[in-house]
This record gives sequence, C-alpha cells and structure tokens, in this order.
Amino acid sequence: MTLVFDRLRKEYGQVVAIDDVTASFAPGLIHGVIGPNGAGKSTLINMTAGSYTVSAGSIALDGKRLDKLKKYQIANSGVARTYQNIRLFDQMTALENLEVCFYPSDVGGTWKEVVWPPYASARRDHRREKCMEILRFFDLQGHADAEAGSLPYGRQRMLEIARALVCNPRLLLLDEPAAGLNHHETADLTAKLAAQRSPDRITIIVEHDMDLVMALCDNIIVMHHGKLLFQGTPAEVQASTDVQLAYLGTANDIDDIRAAAQDRRAQLGIRTRRRS
Amino acid sequence: MSVAESLAAARPRSSRAVAFLVFAVAIALIAATPFLPNYYIRVIDSLLIYILLGIGLNIVIGYTGLLDLGFVAFYAVGAYSYALLASPQLDLHLPFLVILLVAASLGAITGILLGIPVLRLRGDYLAIVTLGFGEIVRIIINNVDWLTGGPKGIARLDKASILGIQIARPVDFFWLLLVVVLLAGLVAWRLERSILGKAWAAIREDQDAARGIGINTTNAKLAAFATSATIGSIAGAIFAASQRFVSPESFTLQESVLIVLMIVIGGIGNILGIVAGAAILILLPEVLREFAEWRILFLGLLMIFLIIVRPAGIVPRSFGPDKLIRRLFGK
Ligand SMILES: Nc1ncnc2c1ncn2[C@@H]1O[C@H](COP(=O)(O)OP(=O)(O)OP(=O)(O)O)[C@@H](O)[C@H]1O
Ligand SMILES: [Mg+2]
Repeated sequence: MTLVFDRLRKEYGQVVAIDDVTASFAPGLIHGVIGPNGAGKSTLINMTAGSYTVSAGSIALDGKRLDKLKKYQIANSGVARTYQNIRLFDQMTALENLEVCFYPSDVGGTWKEVVWPPYASARRDHRREKCMEILRFFDLQGHADAEAGSLPYGRQRMLEIARALVCNPRLLLLDEPAAGLNHHETADLTAKLAAQRSPDRITIIVEHDMDLVMALCDNIIVMHHGKLLFQGTPAEVQASTDVQLAYLGTANDIDDIRAAAQDRRAQLGIRTRRRS
Repeated sequence: MSVAESLAAARPRSSRAVAFLVFAVAIALIAATPFLPNYYIRVIDSLLIYILLGIGLNIVIGYTGLLDLGFVAFYAVGAYSYALLASPQLDLHLPFLVILLVAASLGAITGILLGIPVLRLRGDYLAIVTLGFGEIVRIIINNVDWLTGGPKGIARLDKASILGIQIARPVDFFWLLLVVVLLAGLVAWRLERSILGKAWAAIREDQDAARGIGINTTNAKLAAFATSATIGSIAGAIFAASQRFVSPESFTLQESVLIVLMIVIGGIGNILGIVAGAAILILLPEVLREFAEWRILFLGLLMIFLIIVRPAGIVPRSFGPDKLIRRLFGK
C-alpha cells in the first residue's frame, strides 16, 4: 500500500471532477484506470503529479504527502508521468529529451562542467549511456539525434514514455499511452509496458483501449462522474454489470466497452493526424 | 551517381570550405585590426562590446526563451560601477580588475532582483515588465544627481590598467575585449551544453513539462538571469573605461532593442549568429554613414529581407559552435 488517495476531491468551480475518492495502489503491480470521457481519470493523474492542486483530501506516496509539494519536488520524489496530449521538448533531440531528466542529480556540478571539460564529458557520457539504454528498449536508438518534434506520432508517444522511465521512477503515471496508436504499435507498447514492470514500481495506466488494459493490468479502477465506481481484477471488472452500465448505459457485455474504445481511438486518430 | 547524389556528397566538403573561409577571414581581420586607423578600431571595439552584450542576453532570450527587453539596465549597472569607483565623482580610484569583479557581482545581484518578480511571467508580459525595469534604472540614474551626475553623466573617469599595463588606446581595448568576448562566448557555449543548459532549453520548450521532470524552474531561470546580467555588467564596465565618460543617454530602450534585434537576425540561441547579427547591425550603419538618413531605410529593408529568407536567423540554432568545430577539425 504505497500510493494512497484519501477522500481525494477536486472541484473546478461548480464541477466536481473528483468526488471523495479513496484508493490505494501497491508496488509491483500495474493498475488500470478506466471510465467514460470526463470521468476524472486525467484529473487524478494531474493531481498526483502536482499539475493541479487538490481541493480536499490527500495523496501520499510511501507516507509522504505529495499534495503538499511543488510539482518539481513531486517529480524528485520519484513520480514520473506522460500527458494525454504528448508534451515533449520538441526542438530538443530525442536523446536530449531524456538527458535533461538528470538535471536534479547533476545540476550541482554545472560550474564544474563549464570550467573542466573532462568532467563535463564524463558526466555527459554517463548520462547518455543510461539514456541510450532506454532508447534501445523503445527501439528509438536510431532516432537519438532527431528532433523530438519531427518524429512520427507513434515514436513521440514511445519517447514520452521513455522520458518518464529514464530516471527509474517509483511511481509511473501514464495518461492514455495507446491513444492514436495503430494495432501494431499498441501491441508493441503493451509488451514494453509489461517488460518495464518491477517489484518496486507502482504503474498507473489511464486507458480507453480495453485490450491493453485487460492484458496488462493486475488491478483496475473504474471511474464514473468523479466517483470510484468499482475496483477489482480484470475478470471482476468484465463481470460487473455496474461497469457496463456506466460505460454505455445499456451495454450488456465487454464487447460494447471495446466498441466504445474503438470509437475513441478513431476520434483520437483523427485529432492526432490533424495535429502533426 | 546522379547529379543530386553527387551534389549531396559534395556538400559537406564545400560547407567545410565555407567554415574554413569564415575562420580565415576572422583571423585575418583580428590580425589586421591593430594596424587600422583609430577610428576603425573604435568601431570594432564597439562591435565587440555589442557581441558581448549579445552573448549575455542570448542566455535569457535564446537559451531559456524569456524575452527580456530591459537588458540595458545591467549594462548601465556595470558602466556606473566603473564610473563611480574610478573617478573624481566619489573620489574613489579602485583598480580596474577589482571594479570588474564588483560590476560582475552587482550585475548578478540585479539580475536576480529583476528575475524574482518576473518568474511567473512569460512572453509579452515578461517583455513589458522587463522593458519597464530597464526604463526605471535609466530614470533613477537620471534623477539621483548627487550620485550619478544626472543627465550630465560622469566625466573624467580614470584610465584603466591591468597589472600595471595601461589600457587606454582603442587597440588596448580591442585586445582586452577580444579576450573577454572569447571567454564569455566559451562560458556561454559550455553552459548551453551543460545539464543546466539542457534544463534552460526544456523550460523554453515547455516550462510545465520541465517542472514535471523535476526541474526547479525558479532556480534555473534565476541562474539564467544572473549569468546573463553578469556578462552585460562586465560589458558596461569595459564600455565606461573605454569612453571614460558615462551618461544615461547610452542606456536607452533603443539599446536593448538593438541587442534583441542582433540576436534575432543573427540566429537566436546561437553565439555564431550573434557575431553575424552584430556585424550587420553595428558595422553596416558605419559603412553606410555617408548616406545619412537613407541608411535607416536600408537597414529596415535588409531586416525585412533577412527575416523572410532566413526566419531562423543568418546562422540558425542548429549550426552552433559544436558544428563549426566539427566542420573545421573533425570527422
Ligand atoms: N482545467 C479544467 N477546468 C475546468 N474543468 C475541467 C478541467 N479539467 C477537467 N475538467 C472537467 O473535469 C471533469 C473530468 O475531466 P478529466 O479530464 O479528468 O476526464 P477524463 O476522465 O480524463 O476524460 P477523457 O477520457 O476524456 O480524457 C470533466 O467534466 C472536465 O470537463
Ligand atoms: Mg483524460
């Protein structure tokens, strides 16, 4: 029980986006967060990562209150994330996008890097070695020196996940990692996310792609209108009529949920193609 | 091999030739400068001062992506440091090197003082507030007559000397400035390549995502403001020593705008570009001096032309000092 939401609440003016959610997430597992559009999934991620403030309740990682910290301090407590709409450092190379993540540990040596070139190249080599390892894991080694903004959409998604993983986070938050990916890319992503699993890491994936969620997650949280509707294993979620009702009102099996996800994918596909 | 292919193959070699040519011309110019008449050496000194200012301001504008229109304030801080500490005004006559240190520290402090209130601002808002800051500094200088001499300025500044060697003639300042510009350029370039430089770039690209990977953007931005202001202030102190006179007229908004233009036209975020931008904006008006007011029109047209044909600047960010060195000496 290492990440704990306690009566967590988020209001935007009149809108209650998160309504007294209490949940806990164990390390070593992959947790899925599903729910219809506007259910509050991204809001959960944004509050945990410090992008949004908390209206009431608390978030604690290993007993440490995250909601009291600034965003960069949360990151330095071992929390890494991706965004629903990709946010890379577009004009930096893929490699630099990862390298800059070593800022917290290396910034103290900046002046030494400036005045003593051998130290600078040793540090840089050290950083880049670690970055290349992650880039290879995501099949991006051939794109190391390409500008992040110039990469194809699917690669950008992968690079953003690579950036989240490069500093070996305790808590990994992924907001719709498969959005806009084709079948082939989604299968690839599923395999990679399964492979990054580690006993110390809490992975939370917000996703509409049910195949990915069902294949990957050990534990699933279903959100609906800002409330925690259901929590259980993939099998339990599939069996729950509550979940089906939440998704489609009249849905009677998981295929309908899948269909909804397909719609969503198509919708995003169009949006992302326009974006790039 | 098709024509296109052979052209593509020939390209690295020819751009290497261009790199060598530029390098050779630069060396030749430097070697020839001491033999030029004093008037020309003064123009080159002023060019070097602007390059120095450009290198400083580029840290904030080019590397960190913060549009600072009040840079001239730091230039003034440095100039008045020299004017007050080496003149009959307060009857202080400190050594030049000591004043350079004082100016550098005061520059860093004012840089941070400006940085703190504008931390939350970006884009246009930041530009306007920093512009105001530059004007405030100039107006203060204009009005504290008892200290700064007001609009009349401070005259009869001491001749500078370093370790007993007098720095008084334009050619002395040429060598001094050349060393300082090379040092500042080296520091700026190595900063850009350091982990702090990468963080500046990340802030420029997406400040919020930069926080999300653990960058304390407050500290990183203040470091940018401080180093930038330090360089600006050093430029000011050398400027004052070379003129042996300072007055508020040298520190108007126009100066800040000129330095920003140099950076934008030369190549934002690229030291090589700043040299090119300064050469155009500082040397061309001298060359065109005989055409009187026409030269402003001509410069304006040239700027419009350059922005259209080279929107990323004469030397774009992607062709930085690393690339030049590789072209000249490497692989
Ligand atoms: N910055 C904001 N200001 C005001 N309302 C917001 C803001 N962000 C989200 N909301 C509202 O909060 C609710 C939850 O939004 P959230 O983005 O968390 O949903 P989601 O579950 O991630 O949906 P989706 O699947 O579409 O991404 C929605 O009603 C949304 O309109
Ligand atoms: Mg969302």
